[in-house]
Amino acid sequence: MVTELVPAAAFPLQSGLVPRGTRTFVFESIFEVFLLLGTLVGIVVVGYMLYNAYKYRSGSGNGHIDDGDRLVLGELPSGSGGGRKLFTSFFMSMVIVVSLVSWTYLTLLYVEEGPSDAESLDVEVEGYQFGWRFTYPNGHTTDGVLRVPADQPVQLTITTADVFHNFGITELRVKSDAIPGQETETWFTADEPGTYTAQCYELCGAGHSYMSAEVIVMPPDEYEAWYANTTADNADADSATANESSLRPAVAP
Amino acid sequence: MTDASPERDAAADGGHEVAHDDHGHDFPGTGSIKRWFVTTNHKDVGILYIVTSLFFLVLGGVLAWLMRIQLLAPRGLGEGILAPVAYNQAVSAHGLLMVFWFLSPFAFGFANYVVPLQLGAKDLAFPRLNALSYWLYLFSGILFGVSFFQGGTFSGGWTMYAPLSVPTFTPDVGASTAVLALVLFVASVTVSSVNFLTTMHRMRAEGLTLRNVPLFSWTILLTAWMMLFAFAALLAALLVLSSDRLLGTTYFAMESPAGALLWTHLFWFFGHPEVYIVFFPALGVMAEVFQTFTGRRIVGRKWFILAMVLVAIQSFAVWMHHMFLTSINLQVKTLFMITTIGISLPFDLMVFALIYTMLKGKIRFTTPFLFVFGALLLFIIGGITGVFLGAVVLDYEFRGTYWVVAHFHYVMVGGVTALVGGLYYWFPKMTGRMYDEFLGKLHFAVYFVGFNLLYFPLFVAWETPRRVFDYAPELAPWHQLATVGGFVLGLSFLIMFYNLFKSAFVGDPAPDNPWEYATTAEWAVSSPPPLENFDGTPTYRNGHLEFLDAGEVAPGEDRSDGPTGAAVSDGGVTASATTAVTADAELPTAEAAEVEGPSHASIWPFVLSAGAFLVLLGLSPLQDAAFPEGMVGAAYATTTVAGGVVTLGSLVAMGLEPFHGPVFEEGEAWPFAGIDNGKVGMWIFLASDVVLFGGFLGAYVFTRVAFGWTGWEPIPSDPIPGLVNTYILLTSSFTVVLALVAAEKKHKWGLVTSLGATFVLGIGFLVNKGLEWQHLFHEGLWLSTNVRASTFFLTTGLHAAHVIAGLVIALYLTARAWRGAYLEDSRSVEYFGLYWHFVDIVWLFLFPLFYIL
Amino acid sequence: MVSTKLYTAIYVVLFVSATVQVLVEFAGLSYWLAFGVIMVLSAAKAVLVAAYFQHLRFEPRSLTYLVGIGLAAALALTLAASYSLL
Repeated sequence: MVTELVPAAAFPLQSGLVPRGTRTFVFESIFEVFLLLGTLVGIVVVGYMLYNAYKYRSGSGNGHIDDGDRLVLGELPSGSGGGRKLFTSFFMSMVIVVSLVSWTYLTLLYVEEGPSDAESLDVEVEGYQFGWRFTYPNGHTTDGVLRVPADQPVQLTITTADVFHNFGITELRVKSDAIPGQETETWFTADEPGTYTAQCYELCGAGHSYMSAEVIVMPPDEYEAWYANTTADNADADSATANESSLRPAVAP
Repeated sequence: MTDASPERDAAADGGHEVAHDDHGHDFPGTGSIKRWFVTTNHKDVGILYIVTSLFFLVLGGVLAWLMRIQLLAPRGLGEGILAPVAYNQAVSAHGLLMVFWFLSPFAFGFANYVVPLQLGAKDLAFPRLNALSYWLYLFSGILFGVSFFQGGTFSGGWTMYAPLSVPTFTPDVGASTAVLALVLFVASVTVSSVNFLTTMHRMRAEGLTLRNVPLFSWTILLTAWMMLFAFAALLAALLVLSSDRLLGTTYFAMESPAGALLWTHLFWFFGHPEVYIVFFPALGVMAEVFQTFTGRRIVGRKWFILAMVLVAIQSFAVWMHHMFLTSINLQVKTLFMITTIGISLPFDLMVFALIYTMLKGKIRFTTPFLFVFGALLLFIIGGITGVFLGAVVLDYEFRGTYWVVAHFHYVMVGGVTALVGGLYYWFPKMTGRMYDEFLGKLHFAVYFVGFNLLYFPLFVAWETPRRVFDYAPELAPWHQLATVGGFVLGLSFLIMFYNLFKSAFVGDPAPDNPWEYATTAEWAVSSPPPLENFDGTPTYRNGHLEFLDAGEVAPGEDRSDGPTGAAVSDGGVTASATTAVTADAELPTAEAAEVEGPSHASIWPFVLSAGAFLVLLGLSPLQDAAFPEGMVGAAYATTTVAGGVVTLGSLVAMGLEPFHGPVFEEGEAWPFAGIDNGKVGMWIFLASDVVLFGGFLGAYVFTRVAFGWTGWEPIPSDPIPGLVNTYILLTSSFTVVLALVAAEKKHKWGLVTSLGATFVLGIGFLVNKGLEWQHLFHEGLWLSTNVRASTFFLTTGLHAAHVIAGLVIALYLTARAWRGAYLEDSRSVEYFGLYWHFVDIVWLFLFPLFYIL
Repeated sequence: MVSTKLYTAIYVVLFVSATVQVLVEFAGLSYWLAFGVIMVLSAAKAVLVAAYFQHLRFEPRSLTYLVGIGLAAALALTLAASYSLL
């Protein structure tokens, strides 16, 4: 596996076979393998199918169905032979699928376990029609902009103020449902400082298409400087500049 | 054994012991408009289903086009042809129409037409109920259409996630109408499932044991079983949702503990089997067409069947894989990941079986084969991309994206591809004319290119969130490609419509069997088949299809020319020996009824469905159990009442109408041999009702667990009224038992008195309940007070509705018993008893759960 | 099949056990013990009604299995959904 892509120090859990690292890394490692094998299996199976469809086309003379075991109108249905081949292929496909999924299950356990509380930044996320609110450990709340430090795991606790939403930052491969009356948890780590987009992935009403938030990944020291200036009562100025907020009144029901 | 009895209506059965018979002689011809309103013949109904479903395909397709036009570029607010809410409506209606009003009915059009032929039956077990299924389906579709004009249809997606689906967030009347249309649709499906299951288990020709049933019929059998249970769960979900919308209960409200999760459970418990419900018939078409056009029997037939049976059972144990990102715990996720992988494996076997069937064959690339072959290719791609979703870590990221959209379109529209192949395959049988082969192949070429142009780019653009029209600009080229593909795919159907429409009138006449190597029984009769399908009685007693003349029932000599020894040893020879004897004994009855001939016409299924349509349309504007103010409200209320009158009236008329289903000699009837069709139908219906109440009780238990089980006090502070009602219901069950005993002893006044007593006790139950509710209302408890009150009123209310339905039947039975009915044939009383006792049993659980625990 | 006398006896048993169910509630048992007893009583009554009043006992077993399948589906939904909350 391509484990050398991960900064080893940050992820002591890593081992050779099971990808461990950022959510992006975990996803990409598994997705690549699936894509590769899936394409391979697809090409083999479809190729085999097309080849045989051509080989046994009517008039090719390759088939021999008229040698005494011809299909007759009104016969009771029965099967052809070829069971061994059928079971060999079935067994092979089973081995591929089961081993692939078992392999990813180990990764699932890693993802579910999440980062330890000590090292992670906890942020509460609340969806509403049609935007996202973020609350930091000190009680500081922002609307439409999530600021996080690079290279530190961020633990999200997600819920909603109204309907069912789904909070996802596709570039960082993190996503979770926002369900009324329930809390879900997920986490991510961003390697690269920069600006990403969080979007809603569950149909939630008229403004669904525009229910996004900015995710600003900052160098850790800049983040610390910004965070030190926030307080619980500080209504955030960022939200005013978020491009969705101007749309929001127009699409509210 | 022989069921020479009249058709029985599971819901409102009446005796049909009327000597007078208006049978097939004045049945109008297919050229007459009247014929299509009164027909109960399975082939007519099949054609109605197919034509109607194609209409909904066009409707759903146009909505898809609107979406694809909107998606040509990322749209800012107010850009594009659809406003945001209109887009959401298009998304939702497209999904609902395609899944419910197109896919399944299209497949069941073929099922209606072909299955009785493949079984060797003259018609379905309950022909009028079959017509009823169709009309309920049509009117449910019309009701859905009406919803567009009531301020806008439902806009919460086809998955209808709560609480967006409640009026707080989607207040349009049209949204309620759409939900009610689904309720009506489910009614149609339930009636249809009961009918198909009874027919397929009870009415197979002699020698046609279940394992010998052709694969298309096998897929329909399994589909009907899944529909029976899955749609009952959906009905529970929809009734609760309707109640939240119309009566103001708060199951799914934002404030309800785990209301949103409750919906996901109820919906996906139905939703996952639904995937196989729409796909299995396509699989059956694939299997039939592969065998015919390769000239080979399918490889590993019994493993193929076993794989399908496993899938059908397991489909009820995978639903939470649609919910991996909700708050369900890791243990449950693990369990459902395993069952999900488990359910994918049988499909591998089926795909390989189909592929290996081609080997050594003589493959003819006719239009049906091309479509089915293409469908298998598409299904392979859909299947491989589905394995990605089975890996939970990948699913976490694919959730809510176009990966899911692309995957399920490859699977579901892949299924459509096979069904289109089925349409070409059976078109000559249905119309007696051949379609144009060149145009058929052209259709396939354009269709296949359009399909992949439409759906493959969606895999590439998978990072697009579902149901948005403002996406990352770099994905725009892929979406534009998809839009072009959408138009190619859609327009390819014009070729088909032109081809089939023209060919139906001027195509070359089709022989009985236009396909070399076809084996199933529908090809052994003329194209189109005669009204009652077969000239003689079909039998497989000698291992192959034969038709016996009316007098010829003793085991005849082998009339076959072909080498069928293998098939004979495979067939149920021992079984057929015994059934031959019974068939012989029963023949005189059959012959006598044959002289009268079965009825084929009834207008009441149409009228009844129209009535149900009016009732639901009238109820649609309700909010908090009240009609809107003013003229509009009055008009709606009037519609409800008028619809109710029509519905009740047509039920009674249907009960009184002399109607004879086709006579049949019981051949193979495992596992219901020797049980009357009516009784089997009633029990199958009750099994679905078990799931309906199970859904309601499940919703109650789930909500209570989320709330905190022991912190939840029963709504009635006093269990005594409930106990009294328990006494009343138990007593009424006892009087129904006495009624049956009296009927069997031909004791007329005993029968009338017992039925009358049952009716009075039922009224007593309702009055007592009414007083109790009145009391609770005065205490300030109402349906919307809290979720505890909602579950109490709605669940016991559903039970009361069952009591009321039972009372209508009891009244009908009493009136007819008064006039001397049921003494010769007490089955109506018996079936009513089965229903009534079931209602009693339900109360035995409701009482402790809602009154004392 | 069954004499009217037996039907009557079953009716009496049902009537009495419904009464017992309510008495159990007031017997001062712990909640979950009472819960168990009451549900077992309900199930027993249901079985009696199905077996004799609906005469499933005297029908081919397939009808019983049919209803059992419906019951199993409903229980699977209820139990798995509720468990997923825990």
